[in-house]
This record gives sequence, C-alpha cells and structure tokens, in this order.
Amino acid sequence: MNIKLSDAFSVLISSYTGKAGLILLAFLVGISIWVLATYPLDFGAKEWSNPAVWADNPKAVPPVWVNLFPGTDRVSHKVLDSDTPDDLRTVGRVKAETYRLSFSHNSDEFPTFISFTLNDVEFEGRPPLITLSLVRPDGKTVRLLQHVPSGARDGESAPIIRYKQTPFRLLLSANQTVRAALADFHNEQFGTDFDERDLRGLGDQAAFGVPIPGDDAAFESLRGDYEFVIEATFSSTEDRLGSVKTVVGGDVFGGMGTDSQGRDLAVGLLFGFPVALFIGLLASTLTTTIGTTLGIVSGYMGGWVDTAIQRLTDVVANVPLLPILIFMVIVLGSNLFLIILMLVAFSWPSLTILIRSMVLQLRSGQLVEATQALGASKTRIMIRHIFPQTAPFVFAQMIFFTPAAILAEAGLSFLGLGDPSIPTWGQILEQGFRTGAVYVGYWWWVLPPGLLIVLTAMAFVLIALAVEPVLNPRLRNMR
Amino acid sequence: MALVRTLGLRAATLLGVLLTVLVLLVVTLGASGFSDRILTAVINEEIRGLRTSQATQSRNPEALEAALEVRRTELIDFYGLNEAWWQRMPDTVFRVITLDLGDARTLRSSKGSRKVSDIVLERLPNTALLLTSSLVITAVIGMAVGVKMATRVGSKLDRTVSFGAAVSFALPAWWTGILLILLLSFTFNILPSGGMYSTPPPEGGFARFFDLLKHALLPIITLVLVSVGPYLYSVRTMTLNVAQEDHVLVARAKGLPEGKVMRQHILRVAAPPIVTGLILSLVGSLGGSILVETVFNWNGMGRLYFEAVAGAPDEGLIVALTFIFTLMYVVARFVLEVLYLLLDPRVRYA
Repeated sequence: MNIKLSDAFSVLISSYTGKAGLILLAFLVGISIWVLATYPLDFGAKEWSNPAVWADNPKAVPPVWVNLFPGTDRVSHKVLDSDTPDDLRTVGRVKAETYRLSFSHNSDEFPTFISFTLNDVEFEGRPPLITLSLVRPDGKTVRLLQHVPSGARDGESAPIIRYKQTPFRLLLSANQTVRAALADFHNEQFGTDFDERDLRGLGDQAAFGVPIPGDDAAFESLRGDYEFVIEATFSSTEDRLGSVKTVVGGDVFGGMGTDSQGRDLAVGLLFGFPVALFIGLLASTLTTTIGTTLGIVSGYMGGWVDTAIQRLTDVVANVPLLPILIFMVIVLGSNLFLIILMLVAFSWPSLTILIRSMVLQLRSGQLVEATQALGASKTRIMIRHIFPQTAPFVFAQMIFFTPAAILAEAGLSFLGLGDPSIPTWGQILEQGFRTGAVYVGYWWWVLPPGLLIVLTAMAFVLIALAVEPVLNPRLRNMR
Repeated sequence: MALVRTLGLRAATLLGVLLTVLVLLVVTLGASGFSDRILTAVINEEIRGLRTSQATQSRNPEALEAALEVRRTELIDFYGLNEAWWQRMPDTVFRVITLDLGDARTLRSSKGSRKVSDIVLERLPNTALLLTSSLVITAVIGMAVGVKMATRVGSKLDRTVSFGAAVSFALPAWWTGILLILLLSFTFNILPSGGMYSTPPPEGGFARFFDLLKHALLPIITLVLVSVGPYLYSVRTMTLNVAQEDHVLVARAKGLPEGKVMRQHILRVAAPPIVTGLILSLVGSLGGSILVETVFNWNGMGRLYFEAVAGAPDEGLIVALTFIFTLMYVVARFVLEVLYLLLDPRVRYA
C-alpha cells in the first residue's frame, strides 16, 4: 500500500514502454515550446483563418517529397521576391529600376498559376509605369503586363502612397489582358492563330510551353531557365517601390502539402502540438484534482457528506459523455475552455470511486489513528497524511485521463464543433473530411493530423502502462 | 429480499440519472436563451411564409398585417413564448419522460413521418446492428486473447499485444474509419466507403442482405479495432489478479488439472469484472457511434444526432435524442447490474 511517488518514477524509467512514452512526450513538449516561442498567440484568427495569408499557395496539393516517389514529377512551387533592383538608371529626373527574378522549370507538367504582387509604391507627381515580362529558355521574351497605379485623387497630397495596406495582386493566368498578350506572342513567334478566348484556362501552358501544331490550342512544356523581368519607370528620382513578388504555382508544396484553401498544413499541424498538450494536461489536472478531493473527503468524513458525494458520483458517472458534450457546445457555443470544463465536469467520478475505497482502508490505519490521537485536525490529516498515500494512484490516473481528453476534443472538432479561433488537429481533419478529401485521396490532408493525435495519446498511454506495476504490485516481479 | 432491494436501489439511481440529465438539458436550453432564440426564429419563419402566400390574395395590406399579428400572438401562445423558460420547463420534462417526443422540424423518416418516435424507431435497429455485432466480436477476441495473455505474462505475445492495446486505445474511432476508407475503399476499391445499401439496392432478400453486410463491414471493423485493445488488456489484468490469489495456489497444490483451475478457479471468479468491462465498452461505443456513423454515412441513431445538431439545430429533436441516448446508456447499465447479480453471489447477500 505504501508506495512513494519516486518509486513510480523509477518503475517508469526502468520499463520499455515507459522509456518509449517518455521519449515521445519529450518530443511533443519540445515542439510545443518551440511553437509557443515562435507563433503569435492569436495565430488562429489572424493567420490560419485569414485567406489573404494563403492566397499565393497552390490549393490541395501534396508535399514536396512526393517527387521522391518513382514516376512522380510534379512542379515545385516557387515564390520569387525582391526589394532591391538589380539595375538602376537615371536620365535627368526619370529613374528606371529593373528587377530580375530567375528560376528554372524542369517538369513536363505546367505550373498551376502565376501571380504577381506589388508592394508599397510611393510617388510625387505622375505614377510610375510598371511592366512585367517573362524571358523564356528559347530566348524569346513575352511582355505579360503593363500597370500604372492610380494617380493622385482630389485632395491627396504628395507623396502619394499606393499598395501599402493591401498589396496589388494579380492572378496573371486568369487575366484577360495577359491572355491576349500571350496569344499575340504565340501568333507572332510560332505562327499560330490564337484568340484570347482560345487560351482561356491555358494561360500557364501558353506562358511555359510551345504550341503543338494542330487545330486546338495545346502546348508542350518548355524546360529550362526562365526569368521574370520587372521594370519600373518613375518620373522622379524620389519615387520608390517597396518590393515585387511573382509566384509560380506548383502542384506540390512544403513539407506537408496544403488544404483546399492553400493553407500550409505543416504550419497548422505544428500549432496543434501545444494546443493538444494544453487540452490534455489542463483537463486531466482539473479532473484529478476534483476527483481526488471528493474521494478523500467522501471516504474520510463519512456520514451524510459521504452519502451526498456518493449519490452525486453515481449520477454523474452514468451520464453519456459525448452526446452531452455535443449538446452543451451547440447551446453554449464552441469555446475551448468551455469544452475543457465540460470534459472535466463529467469525467471525475471514476477517480472519486477509486480514491474513496482506498481512503476507507487508510482511515482505519495506524498512521491516521496515531495522528488523530495527537490531535491533528481533519483537514490536516486529509492533506498531510491521507493524500500523500494516494498520490501515486492519482498520478497514474492523471496520465490516463490526458489522452482521453485529447481524444474527446478531437472527436468534437471532427463533428465541426471545435473552437474556430484555435486550430486543432481535429479541426484540420474535419475540414478535410467535410470537403471530401477522403474520397478523392488527399491522404496528406487526413493522415498526418490523425497520426499526430494517435502519437500524442500513445505517449500518455505508454507511460500509463509503464506505471501500472506501481499500482498493482503483483505485476511488478512478473517481467 | 436483499436482491430486490439492491436492484431497486440501482434502478432508482439510474432513474435519477435520467431525470437529472433531462433537467440539465432543459435548464441549459432555457437559461442560455437558446430555447427562446430558436422558438422566435421558428415563429418568424412561419409568419414570413404566411405573408408571402397571403400577399398575392389579399389586396388590403393593413388587414393582412393585422391578421398576421393575430397569428403571431397565437403562435407565441402555442409555443409558450409568453411564459418564462422555467414555466415551460416542467411540461417539456414531463412530455419527454413519457416518451412523447414530439415532431422533428425538417428531418423525416423514410416513410415521410415527422414524428420523432417514428424516426428513432426506424434508425434504432441500424445502430443496434452495428453495436451488437461489434460487441460480440470484441467479446470473443478480447476474452480469448486476454486470457491467453494472462497465462503468459511477460512473453513476447504478451508484450506485443499490450503494445497493440495501447495503440487501439489511442486510436480515435472516426480517424480509424477514415483510414480504412482511404485504404480499402479508395486505394484498393474492395469495400464501399459509406451508406447502407448500394444504389440501386440489389433485388432479392439474400442479395440485399449480402449488400448490407458488405456496407456494414467497415464500420464494424472500425468499432472492433478501437474497443478490442482496452478490453483485452483489462481481461488480461483481471485474470492475472485472480490467478495470483491464494485459492488458486491451493487448487494447484491439490493437483487439479490446469484447465480446470483456469475455468473453475480463475475465470469463474474473474467473470463479473470481465462482463462489466464488456458492457462498459458497449456503453463507450454508444457515444462512438455518433462519430463512426457520421464517417460511414450509416443511417443510425448517431448520424441522426449529428443531423439534428448540424446546420440549423432542431432543439426538440436534440433534447429527445440526448434523452434517448441516456436511456440506452442507462438500460445498458441496468443490464450490467442484473448480470452482476447473476454472476457474483457476494452481491446478492450484501
């Protein structure tokens, strides 16, 4: 009966499962600390649920490393940006800046989109003229775009600032003018007879391909080194431009791929680490605190207090958790703390029953009898003499509750009832399932979050298995 | 007599649970203003419908507005919105407890009935099919493997299966379902990914049954996968605990054959907690069925609950279904108590 907490630790470390669990836990905690240090706390509302952040990412594409699989040759995603011109010329008051963004395209597939972003333009009098051209590996150059920011409005005084709050962003492949420019380019260079309408949906192919002879507009990918050339002509040497960016959309992205909104799943999954641990540990700490307190009070005080607590325990223990949880979240709203509180409110009884039965034995023990004879108060006996003897059991139960809480939250999130301001693994999975990712085989969207939930729960289950011999000494010399 | 008293006490507690849950539901609905909000929305919707249908016939807009106002007062009176929520509460509790579950707002049974009791009766067998078959499979595997593990504690088999049990405990049912769909349905195309029958359902009783079986396979495998691990582990531990008792040592010392010691001296004693564990895992699956049925589009109680909750929540239906879930839970618990009495003579004389 008399087991110290330190014994529990030595048993834990000496076993296989305990070691595995602890290593796993250390890994989870390490990543959580790193995430907490580097992510903003309002990551959910500010970044994850903000489509503008993810606009330049390809939608629902697998991670980059799928290209390692034989027979897979997907276009990688390229973000090219610059804030210092590669070339600068001034003629009198006129200033011309040139930015060169070079990259290579080495796939038989075409990029999925091309976008151009212009940031923070500042000018005195006339707005600058900005042109974007693409230099292709075949030596030909296609001018895709000419853009002039809007000039001074009434009452606006110099310097005039454009695209500082919301950058100028254009999806080139979906733009009619760009398509017309591409059609002209092909007609001139390859003798085709394209119309802007012929290239609808084929903008990327036209930019990165050579036409295949025939009636229809069809292209073959042109591999090699490309370069975007951006020229900005300012009417004053004081005028300037913040930065330019072009994105060549691939159909692979990052370490974990993206979801259907283009969100980088790696970023969301990483944020899930501290959230899962927080949910699990907070819920289990509160649950064990309530369960232990009620168990000790019930067992030691006896009388009507005992009866009242026992009746309450009986009732709460028989409430089906998930339906009630769903009900409460629907009625009271999805708030992470509310969910945790509800979890706690319905999971303490099993521990109370266990602790009470232990305390009944302890109460008649010699230690308690002796302290009573010395005149110790009831509270003191409960806190100083009874609680320490139950501590290893409480500790083990706390480990055991943790995965249960994590799994319950994930289940709720999966039903679409998660807290929308805090992305969790369950929510990422839910969005994947809801948009039909399972039925079209977007495995990178549904496998990793589930796997992480399982790993996190496993860490605690393994530790719980390892400390079991502490609670059940019969198992101790069996291995 | 003690028997009746024990059972009576348990029945009273479980009835208390039902009543407590019900009151908790109704109070939450009322005190949070959710109930008022929903009822107001329902009345507004009805008035709007009435206005559009009457506007074409009536030429006098003022008379129409007056008529609509009268109708609104009637509706407010009908739904009891002119009373505070705690005045409406006893009525609701009484109706639900007498299983007068009312009508669903938008959901219908396949025959078109909007009565909640009709819808529930139609869905209940589907859930029962999933739960009972997975329970039987879990029980058979759990007891066979668990007892075997207990006889060889520390062996390779024991360690492997213990690890498997930990994985099984950590697996969320719904994710396991998604995994199976991805693997067996999407990649290898062996089993259907959801639903209960193919469209169109095959002709003939046998073909239809076979079709149902094919669709039920994945959800059942999912439920078994997540519940069998914890169960067989608890069977192992409980058998092990009994196997270390003195009376088992005495039985072996008397030279009884090992099979007999196992059956009569170990398993007979361990039977009550083993059965408890089984029913507890059934009770756990009850909640899990909400998730598994949602994943597999299985037309059971769990999916019904999800449908009542998703989109525009149907307040009456949610209360009714939560009550029915609690009722199913409580019935399962009561069955457990009776089984316990049959299996453990000590309880009878307590």
